[in-house]
Amino acid sequence: MRLKLQRLHSAPPWKAFAARVLSVLLALAVTALMMAMAGIDPIDLAAQVLSATFGSSFGLEDLGLLFSPLLFTGLAVAVGLRIGAWNIGAEGQFNIGALCAAGIALFVPGPDWALLPAMIAAGALGGALWILVPTLARAYADVSELITTLLLNFVALLLVYYVATGPWLDPSGRALATTARLPVRLPEVWGIVHWGLPIALGLAVVLAVIFSVTRWGYEVRMAGSNAGSARYAGMPVRRHLIAVMLLSGALAGLGGVMEVAGTVGRLQGGISNNYGYLGIMVAVLARAAPLGVIASAFLMAVILNGGIVMQTQGLTTNTVLAMTGLILLFAAIGDELAHYRLRRLEGRN
Amino acid sequence: MTDIRQRLGLDAGAPPLVALHGIDKVFPGVIANKNVSLEVFPGEIHALLGENGAGKSTLMNVLTGIYQPEAGEIHVGGYARVFTAPQDAIAAGIGMVHQHFKLVKAFTVAENVHLGWADTPARIHRSVLEQRTADLSHKLGLAVDPGATVDDLSTGEQQRVEILRVLSRDAKVLILDEPTAVLTPAEAQELFVALRAFVARGNAVIFISHKLDEVLEIADRITILRQGRKVATEWAEACTERSLAQKMVGREIVLSDMRTRTEGVAGPGAPVLTLDGVTLKGRLTDVSLQLRAGEILGVAGVAGNGQRELCQVLTGLATPDKGRVLLDGDDIAPLGPRKVAALGVGHIPEDRLGSGLAPALSVTDNTVLREYRQPPVSRGPWYMPRAARALAEKIAAIAEVMVPDFAMPVRNLSGGNQQRLVARREMRIASRVLVAAYPSRGLDVGAINTMMRYFTELRDQGVAVVLVSEELEELLNLSDRIAVMFHGQIMGVVEGEQADIDEIGLMMGGQRGPQAEVAA
Ligand SMILES: Nc1ncnc2c1ncn2[C@@H]1O[C@H](COP(=O)(O)OP(=O)(O)OP(=O)(O)O)[C@@H](O)[C@H]1O
Ligand SMILES: [Mg+2]
Repeated sequence: MRLKLQRLHSAPPWKAFAARVLSVLLALAVTALMMAMAGIDPIDLAAQVLSATFGSSFGLEDLGLLFSPLLFTGLAVAVGLRIGAWNIGAEGQFNIGALCAAGIALFVPGPDWALLPAMIAAGALGGALWILVPTLARAYADVSELITTLLLNFVALLLVYYVATGPWLDPSGRALATTARLPVRLPEVWGIVHWGLPIALGLAVVLAVIFSVTRWGYEVRMAGSNAGSARYAGMPVRRHLIAVMLLSGALAGLGGVMEVAGTVGRLQGGISNNYGYLGIMVAVLARAAPLGVIASAFLMAVILNGGIVMQTQGLTTNTVLAMTGLILLFAAIGDELAHYRLRRLEGRN
Repeated sequence: MTDIRQRLGLDAGAPPLVALHGIDKVFPGVIANKNVSLEVFPGEIHALLGENGAGKSTLMNVLTGIYQPEAGEIHVGGYARVFTAPQDAIAAGIGMVHQHFKLVKAFTVAENVHLGWADTPARIHRSVLEQRTADLSHKLGLAVDPGATVDDLSTGEQQRVEILRVLSRDAKVLILDEPTAVLTPAEAQELFVALRAFVARGNAVIFISHKLDEVLEIADRITILRQGRKVATEWAEACTERSLAQKMVGREIVLSDMRTRTEGVAGPGAPVLTLDGVTLKGRLTDVSLQLRAGEILGVAGVAGNGQRELCQVLTGLATPDKGRVLLDGDDIAPLGPRKVAALGVGHIPEDRLGSGLAPALSVTDNTVLREYRQPPVSRGPWYMPRAARALAEKIAAIAEVMVPDFAMPVRNLSGGNQQRLVARREMRIASRVLVAAYPSRGLDVGAINTMMRYFTELRDQGVAVVLVSEELEELLNLSDRIAVMFHGQIMGVVEGEQADIDEIGLMMGGQRGPQAEVAA
């Protein structure tokens, strides 16, 4: 009798899920090992991270503030993947969303109840506009959105830096590199956690519903899986591609709105804080399922929050980045391994 | 079994090139193979026959290491071997060309041949790869153009590339899964010549096909599977098409006379669909045709002479540059495929995996593709997964397709079962016209018979059926009239009853025949 590995054609869902969980645990274990080698007690550190995150309402509130933008960017990337588009530009759309919302708050007079919806609309629109050119290039000229969306990130980032330190710089002179405080803020729901979080959670649920039980969701699924058969059935493939990619940009833009109007309160360079790139990881870990994004964004938030604690221990943020990288690496390996099963071979040979 | 060795001119003790012993393969809910044994000797072409879903492709996937059997052994040259991946099998000299090609369309022939091959030089250069490919092509007697992009090749040429890919890795056993389903008769003959030359060098071929005449022509021995079990292995000359069909299904198949109409059903009626001087950018030139209610119009011609474009124009997938497409007198050219389908035009497309189905999506999603917009699958903007599932179950039942799990990707169904599902899905919506392009591709004899009978039923109900096919016999059997295409033009239309094979053959080669009458 001996053991043999066997490759299955498609991985059963429970195995794929188990592989996800295992890959996260493995990544944590490897990080722990490396820390131990660097002379840091990983168990002690883990305990500190966990108690700092979950042990107090402050920790939980911080967690909430990280959770919300990751949900938005994670959903943005996941939605794009639904139709086979890689939106690498959530980072840029996030920045533009923040820029548009800040612009309305700073320069348009009006009561809060009217300004907030206007900011939200402007941010979503801004995010959508920022992905418009890559979208049209993909839809009409089959130009890969991977590069175009990525390149626009740098433009958006620099644009926000420029605006926040130049024309829109706080006129009072108190802040050196940001705009003035926004006169309008997103109300809080719990401690310092603002409405961004419940809105994002609600959106995840709504998107999950849209993709599974609407006709539009069915058509997007078909168009994303095989454009040929969607065209054959007369589905407007190009229109769906455009709509889905714009929606993806709008979601990332919304994330920016919530960040500037809720968490930060003013527009500053680097407000996106890599959320756009982390969103790619969130979406991939969630296998592009909106409800899965809730779980993976939460995990990512815990890791990021842990990173803040680690910094107080003299570890750099790079440790955190390395850890997220490890998780993705292990998830990819796990995905492949989920296709295998171990089997006993009876008999000789 | 010395008899076999004698006949093939082998030593009395010569081991088979490959042998399968007692292979079992189970998928959730399906027994694909049960206790199958098979021996293939040097110098023989061994055909594998069986109904759709009988387990032919699965058995070959086991032999090539894509699937692992639950029980049984594989012997190569007399020694037991375990293959965990296709690479193991090819290293042991067993190579397969699949039912659905696995070439990279954007790559050149040379690149495809060298892809994933240990012998590929580490520093690749275009001219080096092309030279190597040219040498191989010459050595193995398979003519290919090394620099051509695969996407630009005809199906027959693509298949030659696939075979070259396998043979270049020193395969001694070549497995071909329904190789001729997509070939023109001339291409098939070319393939047979190459196969005979290959086995003459002491190699072997395992050949899967549903075309019994062809199997009798090319095979030395024939093994028949039924519901995953082996029924028999016979010498080809001891078989007839009839005896093979009988063994495959386990009962006599009665081939019905298709052209006679049921009593009381009138012949072709009023015109339903009219093509009037349709021209499509260099693919169709001034095509005029008239389809009448309750008739089957056959379209003959060598593949690639505008049949695909004709189907696209008929179903709204392509808008002609010139001319009109009239359905019941209204121009449908600008409507697009969805509205045309909604008007009662069904379409069994030529390439089921490219356009008829989304292979990675579930059986349910694929089966409701034509009816998802209407109740009960849709209610307003909502898509009802349960109703969709129920409809899919219904269609699968009429199509006589056993589906163990409606949530599994449709590509897990056997090739013929995919085709059956598509065909039934389209027949359901075809209340005015059914455009069927090579509908019998990949179907077993029984299923072809059933499908043809169903076409005649549609005809008797007053539906106009367009049947595009390369099988002249099929066309002659069924069609009221046959239009012959050549270079995007209709060379002529002949009455089915008086049709003369030779006349049609000449028209397929570009001679003009009797012209189609076109109503204004
Ligand atoms: N990966 C898979 N997962 C689940 N079921 C499968 C899978 N592959 C094949 N099957 C099932 O196994 C059975 C045998 O399929 P197989 O493809 O071997 O048939 P076949 O003889 O090649 O038929 P055809 O002539 O239609 O190509 C079918 O019922 C099919 O649905
Ligand atoms: Mg098959």
